[in-house]
Amino acid sequence: MPENELVKGLGLDEYQYGFVDDEAHVFRTRPGLDEDIVRQISKHKDEPEWMLEFRLKALKIYERKPMPTWGGDLSDLEATLDEIYFYVKPQDHMERSWDDVPDTIKTTFERLGIPDAEQKLLAGVGAQYESEMVYHSLKEEWSSQGVIFDSIEDGLKNHPELFREHFATIIPAADNKFAALNSAVWSGGSFVYVPRGVELKTPLQAYFRVNQERMGQFERTLIIIDEGAQAHYIEGCTAPVYSTESFHSGVIEIVLKKDARFRYTTIQNWSNNMYNLVTQRAVVNENATMEWLDGNLGSKLTMKYPSCYLMGEGAHGEIMSIAYASDGQHQDTGGKVVHVAPNTTSSIISKSISKGHGRSSYRGLCKVYEGAINARSNVECDALLIDETSRTDTYPYIEIEEKRSSVGHEATVSRVGDAQLFYLMSRGLTQEEAMALIVRGFIEPIAKELPLEYAVELNRLIELEMEGSVG
Amino acid sequence: MSNPSHALEAPIAEEETPSSLDEDAVERVSQGAPSWLSARRKHAWSVFEDTPLPSMRSEEWRYTDVSRVVDFADLQLATHGALAEDGSRPAGLAAAMDEDYAASGHTVLMDGAVVHVDLEPALAEQGVILTSLKSAVHEHGDLLEELLATEVVPPEEGKFEALNAALWTDGVLLYVPANVKLDLPIRATRWVSDPGSAVCTRTLIVAEPGSQVSYVEELLSEDFERRTLVSSAVEVIARDGARVQYVSIQRLGRGTFCQSAQRTLAYRDSTLDTLNVNLGGSVSRLDLNARLLGPGAHSDMLGLYFGDEDQHFDHNTSQDHVAPDTGSDLLYKGALDEHSRAAFRGIIRVHPDAQRTDAYQTNRTLLLSEEARADSLPNLEIEADDVKCSHGASVGQLDSEALFYLLSRGLSQQQAERLVVLGFLGDVMSRLPLGGVVDKVTRAIERKLKSV
Repeated sequence: MPENELVKGLGLDEYQYGFVDDEAHVFRTRPGLDEDIVRQISKHKDEPEWMLEFRLKALKIYERKPMPTWGGDLSDLEATLDEIYFYVKPQDHMERSWDDVPDTIKTTFERLGIPDAEQKLLAGVGAQYESEMVYHSLKEEWSSQGVIFDSIEDGLKNHPELFREHFATIIPAADNKFAALNSAVWSGGSFVYVPRGVELKTPLQAYFRVNQERMGQFERTLIIIDEGAQAHYIEGCTAPVYSTESFHSGVIEIVLKKDARFRYTTIQNWSNNMYNLVTQRAVVNENATMEWLDGNLGSKLTMKYPSCYLMGEGAHGEIMSIAYASDGQHQDTGGKVVHVAPNTTSSIISKSISKGHGRSSYRGLCKVYEGAINARSNVECDALLIDETSRTDTYPYIEIEEKRSSVGHEATVSRVGDAQLFYLMSRGLTQEEAMALIVRGFIEPIAKELPLEYAVELNRLIELEMEGSVG
Repeated sequence: MSNPSHALEAPIAEEETPSSLDEDAVERVSQGAPSWLSARRKHAWSVFEDTPLPSMRSEEWRYTDVSRVVDFADLQLATHGALAEDGSRPAGLAAAMDEDYAASGHTVLMDGAVVHVDLEPALAEQGVILTSLKSAVHEHGDLLEELLATEVVPPEEGKFEALNAALWTDGVLLYVPANVKLDLPIRATRWVSDPGSAVCTRTLIVAEPGSQVSYVEELLSEDFERRTLVSSAVEVIARDGARVQYVSIQRLGRGTFCQSAQRTLAYRDSTLDTLNVNLGGSVSRLDLNARLLGPGAHSDMLGLYFGDEDQHFDHNTSQDHVAPDTGSDLLYKGALDEHSRAAFRGIIRVHPDAQRTDAYQTNRTLLLSEEARADSLPNLEIEADDVKCSHGASVGQLDSEALFYLLSRGLSQQQAERLVVLGFLGDVMSRLPLGGVVDKVTRAIERKLKSV
């Protein structure tokens, strides 16, 4: 099984991706953020005037909006933001062949196992290092059918009309403070278009790597799945472990046209010094199906609530998430489903595990607007607490304006039961093995949705994490 | 103890001119009061003035725009209520009282003043106290100084809590000594007749160790053209091993904003249950906080609401498990017709030491019309690991299978719908073993259903 190559890039393993490469960049802005920095970023990208204006307007919105007071603790973030580099350009051009990627960067991705996985399992690969995509490639089989899989910058350059039609329409700059920030300084990310009726058989995958200390990564992704098309996009993230804090704030916009089907899988395994504040939203049109599979294992604080706006009749949205919070981690994650059209359906399944001093919070919204007749939604949250010091919260918002709809929410919190442990140990398992088995059983409904290779690795990770966790 | 007679006494009220809600009003209600109370009112007023009106931007008031409901400048402090010269009662008040009179004691409040109290003589002899707060200030000053508007519902809780603590005109003290058990409930009937007023009253219930008591209060008024504020602060304390039930049935008329802040403190091995029935008022807001403070304490928290026209209900509940080995179980169910709207925001907080907590929270709402709207936000915050907690919320329409069955048995659509609604709400009442209350609430809901 080629699992190792594929999953290495996701860091779904003992955290061995904390290694640091020598700094390799051709340009970076000075630390901090102001109008001049935004202009520099735009200039380096050789952007059209409208994009510069968009960025500057977004910067004003960002400066105006207060820090959110809900969710995770952001009290230290303002100071962090004054010191980080908002733009670090690793090389002059994006490459189409690994041979052309500078050696230091190439070595990093080789250590993450990406070129191998690309050969064997993927339709296309994008690799982002610091602020820019350094590599992007799509197999000939798909590019010949009109599939576009490019860096976001090339999307803007090469497909200006398609780009402008959708960019920032799903997540406007004013949506929230961090969407505004991303809109001002975005750099890197993917531009994906799957033409009408084309069904990608294997996933597209994007890897995000932050190497520079005190670095802010602001990838921006725009994905358009045309009528009846199907695709699966996987995102993985890793970073070295520094003593200072880094910052990642992405904006992911997705449009599903009629009858389209799309799955977006995230395996987030940032190092424990990373603030990860991401806005992800899909607009789902008639009879289309959007699935978010969201795994949050790393970072210091993650605030991320993938959303489905069910705009067309019969649209379906699904959000499956696993959060794992260990010492010093707060996973504030969940999902939003907004029913606008009749006969729309949605489901949210969230599983979280809190260990040590870790805290996981489910935060979600289910909204049914008047007119969304026969909308049906079900939300299930389960939390598992491993230690006395672990914490879990559940904050589900349910807002219903339509009588002819049905919405339910259930949540349970439990800890690993002594009786369960005792039973397994009486069958010859060690306490750690028993604990790992119980936790695996707990996340199994979501883990089984992962491509097999990831599921295997997720289980291995849990075994590693459970070592020495029982006292 | 006051004279236990079943006839309403002549009112103690004196003539008063209306007064707006200001510092002078605080002075006026403080007249003749001991200094600790005047100081407490003054402090509460300064908290009120320093506290902004809650905005929809705050989590706790997300679903109610209170600036459209209340304008303090437009309200006058309720004048002391008084019965007619001949002692006759307003028809609505008489009907509610006569409907079900069996009780260990009664109190009647009109526009924020206690106009009647009676209590079984045998209970009075055992040291049970049922009296107006106004007289308790003098007769039971120590008890009030210790407990009234301090740790239970202090002014710092919010704008309305501060207003009430500064300007309460009267209220009820119920004190049950250790090991005294009341078989029949204490009934309080509160009548509001003064449109455009702010009626601020308080209830303080103290059940000493091993005692047992139920308190059932009913809020009533006609419909008003002018916006009227009915503000309550309810403080309930169950000491070790005590069993207390607090029931509030709100059937105020339209035009009223019913604001109620309730907090219950349950100590070791006590049982402290509440039922809040909201049927009346234009807007009603309940803040209920149950605190489980001693091992073995348990609270059932039940709620029922039925809305029609443009009624708006906002329930904000919290279950604080502070001590280990405590339990709480919340069930709020309601049905909404026409343009009515209900919001539920509830939170279970399991504090770090509260191991072996058993806590549940369920909110279910039926939407009976196209225009009705329901919001539900059941929260959990859990900081201990050995707990059993779960919550559920649902919003939906009438059970179509049950409807179909009843229709197939020859019932009309309307009859069948009424039965299904009553059945849906009935499982809340089935959990409260107080026969008289269940009948009363069922009748009130039936009346409301008939008018639909």
